[in-house]
Amino acid sequence: MADFATGSCRLAEIDFRERAFPFSFGQIPPRLLESISKVGLLQPPLLQVTAKGYRIVCGRRRLEALRRNGAADAAIKFFAAPAGNLKELFRRALWENLSQREFNLVETADIYNKALKIFSEEELRLELKPALKIPGRQRFHKRYQAIAAFAPELRELIAGGIIDSESVDIISEWNDAELKSLIGLILETGLRRNKLREVINRLDDLARRDQVSVCEPLAAAGAVVSAAEGRIDISALRRQLQIRLYPHLTAARKNFAEKLAKLSLPANIRLEAPPDFEGGEYSLSFKFSDRRQWQEACEKLNSIVPEDIDEICSRS
Amino acid sequence: MKSVQDPDYGRALFYPATVLVEKEAADYPLTETILSRLKKARVVFVKRPAASDFNHLTELYSPQTTLFLARHRGRFLKACPGTAESYRCCLYQILHLGLGCNIGCSYCVLQGYLNNPFITQFVNLDDAFAELDAELAQPGVFCRIGTGEFTDSLFMDPLTGLAPRLIDYFSGSKNAILELKTKSVAIANLLDYPGEIGETIVSWSLNAPRVTAREEGFAASITERLQAAARCRERGYRIGLHFDPLLFFPGWEAEYRQTVAEIFKYLKGADIIWISIGAFRFMPQVKEVLRDNHPQSNITAGEFIRGRDGKQRYFSAVRRQLYRFLVTEIKSYAPEVFIYFCMEDQCLWQDTFGYAPADNAELGRWLDECCWRYAADV
Repeated sequence: MADFATGSCRLAEIDFRERAFPFSFGQIPPRLLESISKVGLLQPPLLQVTAKGYRIVCGRRRLEALRRNGAADAAIKFFAAPAGNLKELFRRALWENLSQREFNLVETADIYNKALKIFSEEELRLELKPALKIPGRQRFHKRYQAIAAFAPELRELIAGGIIDSESVDIISEWNDAELKSLIGLILETGLRRNKLREVINRLDDLARRDQVSVCEPLAAAGAVVSAAEGRIDISALRRQLQIRLYPHLTAARKNFAEKLAKLSLPANIRLEAPPDFEGGEYSLSFKFSDRRQWQEACEKLNSIVPEDIDEICSRS
Repeated sequence: MKSVQDPDYGRALFYPATVLVEKEAADYPLTETILSRLKKARVVFVKRPAASDFNHLTELYSPQTTLFLARHRGRFLKACPGTAESYRCCLYQILHLGLGCNIGCSYCVLQGYLNNPFITQFVNLDDAFAELDAELAQPGVFCRIGTGEFTDSLFMDPLTGLAPRLIDYFSGSKNAILELKTKSVAIANLLDYPGEIGETIVSWSLNAPRVTAREEGFAASITERLQAAARCRERGYRIGLHFDPLLFFPGWEAEYRQTVAEIFKYLKGADIIWISIGAFRFMPQVKEVLRDNHPQSNITAGEFIRGRDGKQRYFSAVRRQLYRFLVTEIKSYAPEVFIYFCMEDQCLWQDTFGYAPADNAELGRWLDECCWRYAADV
C-alpha cells in the first residue's frame, strides 16, 4: 500500500456499522484476537475519510479485535484511501483479503452483491467471480443473493459453517416461517453440517411431496419425538423423517425383521437382505472359531425349512 | 382427423432467434438448408468452442433461443449408455445427430449430462452415413438405431428435413431399423415422404396427463401425440410407445389408466411394435440441477433409494406397483403387444411378467424379433 498516504485517528472515530466494503462477517478467529491482545495492531488498516469519521476499506477484523480488547480510544495508524474510485479500492481490498484467508459463504455473498453494483458484467466475469470462486451458473448467483437477504441469525449460522452451501441452496426457497423453524431446531438440537443437511433435505422432500409448508413435517416429526423422549433427540428426529419419507421401505424393513426373527438365528449367523431390497440377492454369513461352532451353525442352517426361505425372499 | 397439410404438423417446436455456426460447419448442405429456413435469425460464425468456452457463450447467447450448428468429430453410432450390468438393457444403438431440445421436461436427465448448453445440430451427415455403411456392412449385424436419446428426433424436423433423409437410408437397409422418438407432432415430413417407408418406427413418449401438463414443458398433449401416431400409422409407419419416466404421485392409477385408454382410441395393438416402460431414475447430482431449473416440480421428492447402478430409483415395491398396474392395463386392451422394461432389475421383470431376460443379449434378441416379425408382416 505504498502509494497511500498515512494518517492516524482514534478507534472510536471509525464507523463500524458502515459496510461499503463488506469483507468481513462472522466470528473473529481466536488467534487474531490473541495476537492483537499480545502485540496490538501491527499492520495498519486502510481507511477512508467520510463526513462522519472513517470508513473501513480493509482491516475490519483487526480493528474489531482491537475494539473487543477494550481499546476504544486507542490511537490507530492507518493508510488513507483517497476519496472516489470505489471500484479500484474495492479490488485492492478484495485481493488484500484474499491473500490472507478464504472468505466464508456470507462474506462471499456480501462481497459479490456489492460487486454486482459497482462492476461491469465483463469485470465480474473476468476478475471478480473467479476471485470469489463463483461459477457462472445461475444457481450460484441465486445462492449468494439468498444469503445476502437472510436474517442475521441465519447468516451467523452460515458464516459459522453450521449450515453448508448445499443446504443454503435448499433453504433459499423457504419462507420466513420455515426459516424461523429451522433456526429454532438448530438452536435446540445443536444439529450441524452433514446431519443438518440430511434433515433439511428430508424436510424439503416431504414438504414438496405433500405440497405443504416445511413447518408441517418438522412439527409432526418433532411432536412424535418429543412425546417419546421429552425433548427433540437428533437421532429420533432423523428416524421419524426417514419413516415419513420412506413408508414402503420402512414397512419392508419391518416385515423382513419379523420374518428373520421367526428363524431364531443365533448371533453368529447373519442373514441380510440386499441393500434397500434392490435386486434379489440375499447374503448369509456366519462366524465361528472352532469345529463345534461350525457344526452348530451348519445344523441351525440345515434345520431351516425351505418354506421359511421362500417367505424371506418373497417380494409380494 | 387433421389433414396432411395441417400446419401444426409442419411446425417445428424450436425457431431460434440466433444461430451459432461453427466455421468448419458453414459449407455443409444441411447448414445451408437450416439457414434458408431461418431467414430472420441472427447468424453468428464462431470458431469451434472448447468445453470451457460454453460458459462464456451462454452469457452472450441464450441457450433457450440459440441453435448451434457444428461438425461432429467423434463416432455417430454409439451404444446406448444404458446402465450398469445389474439392470437389463436392450443393446440399443444411438445415431448421434444432435444434442438437447427445447421442450423443457423437468425430468430430463440431459440437464445433468451435457457440457454444451446449446441445442446442437451436427451437419456433416455424409460422415454419419459413411459410418453407418461401414457398420452395417459387417456380416451378421442387426441394429436397432434411434436418434432420440440425446435430443428429440422430430422437434426441429421442419427446419432440418432430416427425417426423410434417414427414412431413405434405412428403407434400403436389410439389417437395421430406425426409431424416431418424439414428444412433438412435427410429422409433416414423415407424412409427405414419397417412397416406401421400409424399416422406420415412429415412437412417442407417453405419460399421465397430469405429468404431461406439469412436467413436459412445450410437449404436445397426449391426445395430440396419439393423433399424430395414428396419422403415421395410416401412412405405413409402425408405432412404438415409451412410458418413461413413470412417476409415482397421488392419483397415479387413474391418470395412467386414462392414458392407456387414450392409446387404444387411436391405435390397435397390431399397430404397435413395442411399448417400453421405465420408472423415473436419475443420477444423484441431477437432483440439484433439476430443482434449480424447475423449482416448482416435486418429482425428486419421493421414495428414492440408491440403485445398484448408483442412480436414484423408486424403492422396488413402488416400481412393482407401477409396473403391474400399467402392464395389466395395457394387456387388457392388447394382450399381444410386446412390453419391455428399460434399465430394470430382473426381479421386477419376474414379478411383473413371470419371466425375465437372462441377460442383455436376450432382451436385445426379443426386440430384434419384434422387428423381424414386422418386416415379415410387411
